[in-house]
Amino acid sequence: MDHLQKFTSQIRGRLVGILLVNNLLVFADWWVIEHFFHLQDYQVLIALGVATLLGLTLLPWVSAEYIAQPTKFIWQAVLHIAPDTANMAAPNLKNIHFGRELVTALVTHVYQLANVADNVEKLARTKRHDLKADFVANSLPLPLVVLDKDMNILFANEALLKYVGREAADTVGQNVYLVLDMLFSDQHTFDSWLERVRIGKVTATRTWTRVRLNLPDQKETRLFDLVGYYNKSNPEGFEVMLTIFDRTREYSQDEQAMGFVALAVHELRTPLTLLRGYIDVFEEELDGKLDPELTDFMRKMKASAQQLAAFMANVLNLARFENDQLVLKLREEKWAPLLESAVKDVQLRADVRGIKFDLKVDDNLPTVGADAVSVYEVVNNLLDNAIKYSKPNGVVQIRAHVNSDGSVETTVQDFGVGIPESAMGNLFDKFYRDYRNRTQVGGTGMGLYLAKAIVTAHGGNIWVQSKEGQGSTFGFTLKPFSQLGGGQKHDSPDIVRTAHGWIKNHSMYRR
Amino acid sequence: MAQVFTSPNPIGKKVLCMEDEHFISELYVRALNKAGYDVTVEVDGLQGLQLAQTDQFDIILLDLMIPSITGIEVLRRLRNPAITKQLRAKIIITTNLEQREDVRADIEKQADGYLVKAEITPRELVEFINSINV
Repeated sequence: MDHLQKFTSQIRGRLVGILLVNNLLVFADWWVIEHFFHLQDYQVLIALGVATLLGLTLLPWVSAEYIAQPTKFIWQAVLHIAPDTANMAAPNLKNIHFGRELVTALVTHVYQLANVADNVEKLARTKRHDLKADFVANSLPLPLVVLDKDMNILFANEALLKYVGREAADTVGQNVYLVLDMLFSDQHTFDSWLERVRIGKVTATRTWTRVRLNLPDQKETRLFDLVGYYNKSNPEGFEVMLTIFDRTREYSQDEQAMGFVALAVHELRTPLTLLRGYIDVFEEELDGKLDPELTDFMRKMKASAQQLAAFMANVLNLARFENDQLVLKLREEKWAPLLESAVKDVQLRADVRGIKFDLKVDDNLPTVGADAVSVYEVVNNLLDNAIKYSKPNGVVQIRAHVNSDGSVETTVQDFGVGIPESAMGNLFDKFYRDYRNRTQVGGTGMGLYLAKAIVTAHGGNIWVQSKEGQGSTFGFTLKPFSQLGGGQKHDSPDIVRTAHGWIKNHSMYRR
Repeated sequence: MAQVFTSPNPIGKKVLCMEDEHFISELYVRALNKAGYDVTVEVDGLQGLQLAQTDQFDIILLDLMIPSITGIEVLRRLRNPAITKQLRAKIIITTNLEQREDVRADIEKQADGYLVKAEITPRELVEFINSINV
C-alpha cells in the first residue's frame, strides 16, 4: 500500500501543479489585457474565455498522457503474457519516471501470476482426468510407464511403482533412466531403437528379452522382457509406452546354473591341483630312475591331468558363453609367439600319442587383435582334435599366413580318419559328435562350438575341409589389429567385446 | 597357528602362504623350500592378515577361500592405505574359485598376480615367483 500512497500523493502534487498553472495563466492573461490593451469589459471576458478554453484543451491532454503512463506499462505487461498477444514486447521499466515503484511492483505481480497459471496448466496436463483409463492402467498387473519426448516419465502405474520400489512423487517427472537403469543383452537397446523409429516412423513396437534392471540399492537384480510402443504425434505428448514382463525367476535359474558350474569346477579343481602337484613331485624325484615303460606311464599321467584341466576350461567357457559372461579383451598381439606357446602346451599330449607337430609361421604377419586366453583355447581345441583323430605316429601340420584381405589365417591339418560328408554341416554345433567316432575317441562336442564362438567374437571366421580317410584341415582367421575398432582403439588399450554379453544403454550419458 | 618351514639352502626370501588345504600347502612348501624360499603357512584369514601386516614377507600367496575372513577381504585390507602402510610384499592370488569376469578383473588390479591352482604345477608356481620377485 505504500507504493499506492506514494503514487496518490504524486498525482495529488501534480494535480495541484496543473491547477496552479491554469489559474496563473488566467490571472496573467487578465493582467496583460488590463495593462497593455485597455479593452472593454466584455472584450476582457471574451479574451479570458478564450484563454480558459485553451487551458482546458491543452492541460488535460498533457496531464492525461502523464498520469496514464503507469497504466500503459501495466497494460503492456499483461498483453505480453496473454496467450493471444504473445508477440507483444515486454515493457521497458527503465523508462518510467512517474509511479515507478507501483508499476514495478504491479508488473512483477503480473508475471508471478502468469507463472502460477502456467504451472497449474502443466499440472492439469500431467494429471489425467480420464478415470477409466487410470483405473485400467493401475489395475494392470504389468508394470507400465509412459514417457514424453524428453524421456521424462509422464505416468507410471501402480505395478511399476511397486516393481521399482518408488513413490509416484519421485517417479513422475523424472528421467526414465534414473528410474529404470536397464541393461540390454546386445547392442539393440531401447535407446538405439528409439533413435531409429523417430526418423520416419509414426508408430512402432518392439520386444526385448533378458533385459536386466539394477535397483539402486544393488541388492537385487530384476530380469524381464520389455515391450515398447512408440507414437510420434500423440496429442497428450505420450511418445513411448513401456511394459515390463518380469522373468526374474526363469532367467536367474540360468544364472544359478552358471553358479552351479562354478561351484562344481571349484570342487573338481582342488583334487586336480593335487594330482598335478604330486605328478610334478614324482617327475622331479624319479627322473632317470624309472625304466622306460614307467617313464612313459608317468608322462601319460601328466598329459591326462593336462587334458582334464583343458576340459574344465572348456566347461567353464561354455557356461560363460551360454550365460552371456564370456568377455573378450582384444589387445594388439604378435601372433607367432602366442601360437608357439599354445602349441608347446599341447606338445606333451601329442608326444604320448606319438604325434609330431610341424609348425611353420610366415615372417610377415601383422599384429592381430586377440584375447590371448581365449584364442589359446581355440588353438588348444583344434590341436586336441587333430591329435585325437590322427593315426598313431602321425603328423599334425600347423601353418599361419596372411590372407589377401589382410587377415591372419591359421590352419591345423591332420592326416587321420577325416570327417564324413554328412557330418560336415553340424561340426560346429553344440554337443555334436560324429556318431562313428563316438566309441573310438573321447570328446564332448564342446570344443568346436566354443572355438567358433570365440573366433566369431574376434570378428574372424572358422572353417573345415575334410576327406574321409585322408584327414581334416581346420582353419580360422583373426583380424589384424589395425582393422579393429576404428577410432575406439586409441581411447583405450583394450577393445572389450562380449560374445553376446550385456551392453549398457548409454543414452543418459550422452546427454 | 602359523607354521614356519625354513629352506635348507635359504636365499633370504620369505613367503607367506595363506592356504587352508593342507595337501596343497604341503606341495607348495616343498617346491618353494627347494628353491630357497622360507615359507610360513597360515590357514586363517584374520591371522594371516595380521602376519602380513608385520611386513616381513617378500611374497604373499593368498587363497580366496580361507576361514574367518575371505582372501578378497584380506587383499582389500592389505591394499587400503588407511589400514596398512604400503606393503613391501608382492601379493599373488592362488585360487581355484571361479569368479565373474568383472570381479576377477577387480581382484587382478589389486594383486601382483592371479593364478588358478589347477592350471599350474608347484614348480611352475616357483618359476612365476622367481619371475616377479626381482
